[in-house]
Amino acid sequence: MKLKYFIPPIILIPVILVQLTIIPLISIEEVAPDLLLIALVYFSIAYGQLYGTTIGAFYGLAFDLITGSLIGSNMLAKTVAGFTAGYFSADTRRDKYLYTYAFCLVVLLCSIINSLIFSFFSVIDFNTNFIVVLFNHSILPSIYTTIFSILVVIVPHRRSYI
Amino acid sequence: MFKLLSYFWDNFKEYVVLVILVIISFILLTQNNNPQVQKVRAVTFGSFAVVTTVIYDLFNTTQIKRENKELREVNAELMLQISALREKGILNSKLKDLAGFKDTSTLPLVPATVVSRTLSQTQNTITINKGIDDGVKPGMPVMNHLGLVGVIHSTSEDFAIARTLKNIDLKLTVKNERSRIDGILIWDGDKLVIINVPKTLDFEKGDRIVTSEVSSIIPIPIPVGAVSEIIPERTGLLNRISVTPFVDVFSVEHVFILQLVQSIQKKELELNFYKMP
Repeated sequence: MKLKYFIPPIILIPVILVQLTIIPLISIEEVAPDLLLIALVYFSIAYGQLYGTTIGAFYGLAFDLITGSLIGSNMLAKTVAGFTAGYFSADTRRDKYLYTYAFCLVVLLCSIINSLIFSFFSVIDFNTNFIVVLFNHSILPSIYTTIFSILVVIVPHRRSYI
Repeated sequence: MFKLLSYFWDNFKEYVVLVILVIISFILLTQNNNPQVQKVRAVTFGSFAVVTTVIYDLFNTTQIKRENKELREVNAELMLQISALREKGILNSKLKDLAGFKDTSTLPLVPATVVSRTLSQTQNTITINKGIDDGVKPGMPVMNHLGLVGVIHSTSEDFAIARTLKNIDLKLTVKNERSRIDGILIWDGDKLVIINVPKTLDFEKGDRIVTSEVSSIIPIPIPVGAVSEIIPERTGLLNRISVTPFVDVFSVEHVFILQLVQSIQKKELELNFYKMP
């Protein structure tokens, strides 16, 4: 068993800590980036679809337990998001998607899927305008998460110049 | 057979794992009220909240100056209100003595600090630094000086998770303070609404909404919000009353837990009523 596979579960704790304490300070009109999802997409592309799906379930379940959300809702959403991100993890595609701005597009796709599934299991009242709900609950947080994910692309590049 | 299974696993293992994990998720979704699941949740968030408190306090110090200014303003307003209330209290006490009523105005409040929060727009929760050891139990209302924030959902020894008003799983019985009409308040994912209100009932823009005495969760009136819009339902018979909450649950930092849970005797009476043939 390679040591690198233990990194994502260890990283989970600091990521959730930042998500719950610091991220609320930079939220805009109650919309906040999802750091857990960015980490999940990164590890799914880096380590493959099977690992991404499993770690997605683990991340989701841990988040549900810690935050008091409906247990299973984040787990389901992040499992499918991890599985989707895994499609971009083939050996030939890994470099293309991991350290280029294409990573942000993968984050956008996975974030929309994650938000849609999570919102669906939150039983949104469909008496309200569905397009507005879709925009507020899926598109806006996904866009913010995508903008935040640019850091993942920029930081390793800078490091490589040092 | 083994070869077939091996072939299947080699070619479809990602899908097999996905299906298994999705099934586990669905099973867990149905087990949310299981006492064992609740226990695991209490242990997990209790352990995690210890670390969260330290980090939250660290960042929170930068906001103390702003908060102090707000508190000074609130303090001045409260001082004026107390003066007015003191006069009314003396009169009320005399009238109660005359009528032979018991004094029910003393309610136990436990001050608490929010140590972490989720910014979910559908399942918004806050974690607070008071738990079972401080006498906090599920079902107790959480409030601040402006009004209701939410209701305690889970507790560990030192911490508790409260579902805020912006959580679709929190449904409250509320009433219009002016017209005394009861209704069910929910968070629909976008706004707070009182649902299924017949068009003939008296609701007006600006009416104050408080929790109702008939509520099985909060049996005393706590301010919730004000009516902001009356939206006609598509059926044409009912209205949805949009309510703007007094408390911004996304920025609340200091709260009070009202150590009050629904009277068991009252609950038993209601159950007996339903048990009647």
